[in-house]
Amino acid sequence: MRFAFTDDQIAFRDAVRDLLANECPPAVVRAAWENADGRSGAAWGALAEMGVLGAAAPESVGGLGLSVLDLVLITEETGYAALPEPFVEHALVAVPALPDPTAAAAGTEVVTAALGGAPVAPYAATADAVLTEEDDALVLVSRADLRVEPEPGVDGSRRPGWISWDAAATLGDAGARAAALDRGALGAAAQLVGLTRRMLDLTVAYVQDRNQFGAPIGSFQAVKHRLADARTALEFARPLVYRAAWSVSVGDPDAPVHVSMAKALASDAATLTAQQTLWCHGAMGYSFEYDLHLFMKRAWVLAAAWGDAAAHRARVGRAVL
Amino acid sequence: MHVVVCVKQIPDPAVPGELDPGTHALKREGKLILDESDSYGVEMALQLVDKAGGGEVTLVSMAPNGEVSGLRTALAMGAAKAILVSDDALAGSDALSTAKVLAKAVERAGSVDLVLAATESSDGYTGTTPAQMAELLGWPSLTFAKQVDVAGGTVTVQRQTEAGYDVVEATLPAVVSVTAGVVEPRYPSFKGIMAAKNKPVDTVTAADLGLAADAVGWAGARQRITQVAPAPAREAGERIEDDGESFQRVVAYLEDLKVV
Repeated sequence: MRFAFTDDQIAFRDAVRDLLANECPPAVVRAAWENADGRSGAAWGALAEMGVLGAAAPESVGGLGLSVLDLVLITEETGYAALPEPFVEHALVAVPALPDPTAAAAGTEVVTAALGGAPVAPYAATADAVLTEEDDALVLVSRADLRVEPEPGVDGSRRPGWISWDAAATLGDAGARAAALDRGALGAAAQLVGLTRRMLDLTVAYVQDRNQFGAPIGSFQAVKHRLADARTALEFARPLVYRAAWSVSVGDPDAPVHVSMAKALASDAATLTAQQTLWCHGAMGYSFEYDLHLFMKRAWVLAAAWGDAAAHRARVGRAVL
Repeated sequence: MHVVVCVKQIPDPAVPGELDPGTHALKREGKLILDESDSYGVEMALQLVDKAGGGEVTLVSMAPNGEVSGLRTALAMGAAKAILVSDDALAGSDALSTAKVLAKAVERAGSVDLVLAATESSDGYTGTTPAQMAELLGWPSLTFAKQVDVAGGTVTVQRQTEAGYDVVEATLPAVVSVTAGVVEPRYPSFKGIMAAKNKPVDTVTAADLGLAADAVGWAGARQRITQVAPAPAREAGERIEDDGESFQRVVAYLEDLKVV
């Protein structure tokens, strides 16, 4: 058995990485905090054109039939870029479940999701449809049947909203709902890994550049140890995310447990890294004009979304005992 | 229309490069990627073929160890096939030897209307290979093209100059070198990436192309790197205390650079 990503999976990642480096630099994330819909603008269309948004749709309905394993590295990159879009909700959770994903694959229809907790969905006020749950079934609510009450969020781009609805189309049973929930938790875990990498990259560069007492602050043990702790947490979380992606893709009966282990550790790694990198930046880390907070706040939101670390630990516990 | 694009696969510029202490040549053992300056030629070729209403784009490349990573990127963008010349005998080739190899590879590609190349590679910067190739092929050479149009057996380019551009034309077939930024290279699509691995790559040696071993590589090189030295460290800038008139110094400085 070969435990490594395929050449195609690496090529997909590199293509999306290049795209996001050009179309979603921090300035785009920052602009999404202030603009009308909280979204990226050009990056979404470019991802659609590349074939990313419809990649998880079955081939029978015009998709590429790619698995979660094919998409996990890409999802990690969307986290690294803090892409201000409902990427996980749309491309990972909704697209594989939609009866006709044509418009969603083209990016002209945006689908968000609220599953497994309070009926709160990111980008609820502007999405064309919401994938959610009703009596344990997976349902789709279209814009016309949706009521949204905006809720302020810590991440200025996510635009969460409480949703309620009068009518919904049933897309699947409890099994489909559980699978969608696992795809969401796994996607959030992958984005958290990407965010953790980004916060570390920013901070490693900063502590090499910032001098105090005549030396870069990164040469001091008190700084090095914090970043080493964060890096260690990242390296423990990342393989679990990749393993969970494999389990979901092959239909391993333990996949839900693997997803929970991944989400718990990825949430912890990102939360720890947010704290450590904030400290290493000193007062700079708090400034709105500096980029760190864009990634830190996204990490806080995603650590709590799709089940926080405690909820997923509890699920692992129930499976073990 | 059949367009050939010369693409170079180079060590990732994000990774610090190393020179071989014996030969002063760039070490090229690791994974190679598509030279970004060549992505413009690939995009231009794809657009020209589209505009012509049919035809295909063939890549030619010369790289050690049968390396195809960079070719796959260009194939994923939409090129139809590639000819890769990979041969230990080619190590140490100078620009002219490279041009001999690429010219032979172009001949192997069959009936060709147009050859596109970057103005220069991002790791070698000699900037002479396209013109040398044209001479070896006996075809016209147009350089520094910032816009390329093909119509009725003629290629017309806007040739970048310091003051603006010249419009020059040549009969086909011709070799045209394009400047970076002429077009916006497309992102490879997922479908393109998946299709790329099934596209044909014709891997050949120097002998397959009819080149004698002593015409290429270290044996054939007419150019020797005799010495290398690290780039000088950046010098400190000039500090000016602002007395209310320092803007004039800034203007004078920019005038010196001929920026204003």
